[in-house]
Amino acid sequence: MADLPSTCEHHRASALVIEFRNVGKTYRSLLGNSVKAVEEFSLQVVEGEILGIAGPNGAGKSTLIAMMLGYLRPTKGTVEINGLPARTYIERNGIGYLSELIAINPKWRADTALVRYATLAGIPDAEIPWRVDELIEKLGIAEHRDKKVKALSKGNLQRLGLAQALLRDDQILVLDEPTHGLDPVWSQRFRGIVEELRRPDRTIIIASHNLDELQRLADRVAIIDHGRLQRVVSTGYEQNAPAVTRFRLTLAAGFDRIRESFPLAESAGRGEYDVTVRSIQELNAALSDLISRGALVASVVPERSVLEQQFREAVGESP
Amino acid sequence: MNRGRLGKYALWQFRDFAVDRGVAILIVGFLWGYVLVAPFRGAGGGQLKLGPSSPVWPLLITVASSIVSVSVLIAVNGIVSLDRKNGYYRFLFSKPVSVVAYYVQLYFVHMVGVIAAMLVLSGVLRTMVPDFSIVNFLLYTALIFVTMGGIGFFISVATRFDWVTLAAVWLGSRALRELYGAKPGLPGKLVQVLPPVHKLDAVASGLITYGNAPTSDVLWLLGYGALFFALGLILLRQASLAD
Repeated sequence: MADLPSTCEHHRASALVIEFRNVGKTYRSLLGNSVKAVEEFSLQVVEGEILGIAGPNGAGKSTLIAMMLGYLRPTKGTVEINGLPARTYIERNGIGYLSELIAINPKWRADTALVRYATLAGIPDAEIPWRVDELIEKLGIAEHRDKKVKALSKGNLQRLGLAQALLRDDQILVLDEPTHGLDPVWSQRFRGIVEELRRPDRTIIIASHNLDELQRLADRVAIIDHGRLQRVVSTGYEQNAPAVTRFRLTLAAGFDRIRESFPLAESAGRGEYDVTVRSIQELNAALSDLISRGALVASVVPERSVLEQQFREAVGESP
Repeated sequence: MNRGRLGKYALWQFRDFAVDRGVAILIVGFLWGYVLVAPFRGAGGGQLKLGPSSPVWPLLITVASSIVSVSVLIAVNGIVSLDRKNGYYRFLFSKPVSVVAYYVQLYFVHMVGVIAAMLVLSGVLRTMVPDFSIVNFLLYTALIFVTMGGIGFFISVATRFDWVTLAAVWLGSRALRELYGAKPGLPGKLVQVLPPVHKLDAVASGLITYGNAPTSDVLWLLGYGALFFALGLILLRQASLAD
């Protein structure tokens, strides 16, 4: 399978916002042992883009994000945001950030925690109450607003963390495992929220284990493993790109017509068939033929997304 | 885009100080003071007829200065390291605020908090010991906060074990200075760089009782604390917040 291009047209045309330039981070213990968490990492993220970061546990995602926020100093290379060192940019402009571990003082009340962060974020006093109320409503934590942070469930704490990240109209949002601890309903709603946040002048970075989530939300996904950037994958389907070869078709009617259009279709039972095609054009042509023969197609699902396929290859798992 | 409103956030910092540390300081101060002062008060029929010439006065000064030291220890313990250990820095410093400015403000908020707590305690003591000067006591508190608080701030930036380290540095310096301070040679010279805790007794006695103390001693204490506070800020600027 051919690699997809690492940059899309949009990427080439838009302004550079975040740049990792040959970044490396080595942790050294007092006993002299060293661990290379990130090595020779270079990547550019542009305005208007949603970039996903994926990688197995211990791949270096958290270290990378900590360096992007200026919480960790790279051992080598630089991380710049809008041409400034990351920490300098954030101290001047702020950034919307949801960390993987939601660390809010457990003694604070949920709503006053947001008021505190809003104050630090520079939101004027007059705007704080309605901004806080708006986010509390939007993220469904109204009934928990008076509770101490320590009394919140994991899902509600995650939503509170997301609320504080959205307090300001920041140009840059960094969301680390944003749906961690959320139930399926709220994971779905989260995707809607991110789609609402997409704006030509805003850059969003999402680090996640959930490839399906990244496939749906991100424009590109940087796959890292062993601290190195393995590849950058465009999540869109491109014309003529033989990205996905196997699909599962579900038919509601016309089961006996399937092999007329897909001669090699394999039945998976209950009206489901696995089909193999060489391109999206071939898939569409065969589907069109199948429908014209009177079959009723209920769903067409790729066996693996472009991203999943690329991820497996990048981290050394055979497909 | 707005910059963060750090000044306004000082009210939240003060509230946290009052709840998390101020109450503890008042309780420790009341208990410590009560246990040591009550017997004398009982013997005096409710009023302590104490003055600087009283043989009990040095004990009172020792108790008062000890309460200040313990209060400063409580106030600066974890002032930076707790945010790092608990990960609170992640959300705090994604906002448009300077890390250094945040902790400078927090340090001064805690100083105000300790002085306020000492105002309450010394106010209570004053009702029993009319010769006890609240103003002098608060001056001494401010001096100790700069000295001990400055060292404590540096330790809190440099390590996660700041409570133990500060107590060890403070008490260890006193012990080492008593052992080697007057001796010639390298040990005697090396202990000179330790915190000038040996000057505290004279400064406490002079400042709390009469409102003045040897200028060189006061400057030594202030300078030492200020130096370490500045070193703490430099380290905060240069080092990583995350581990």
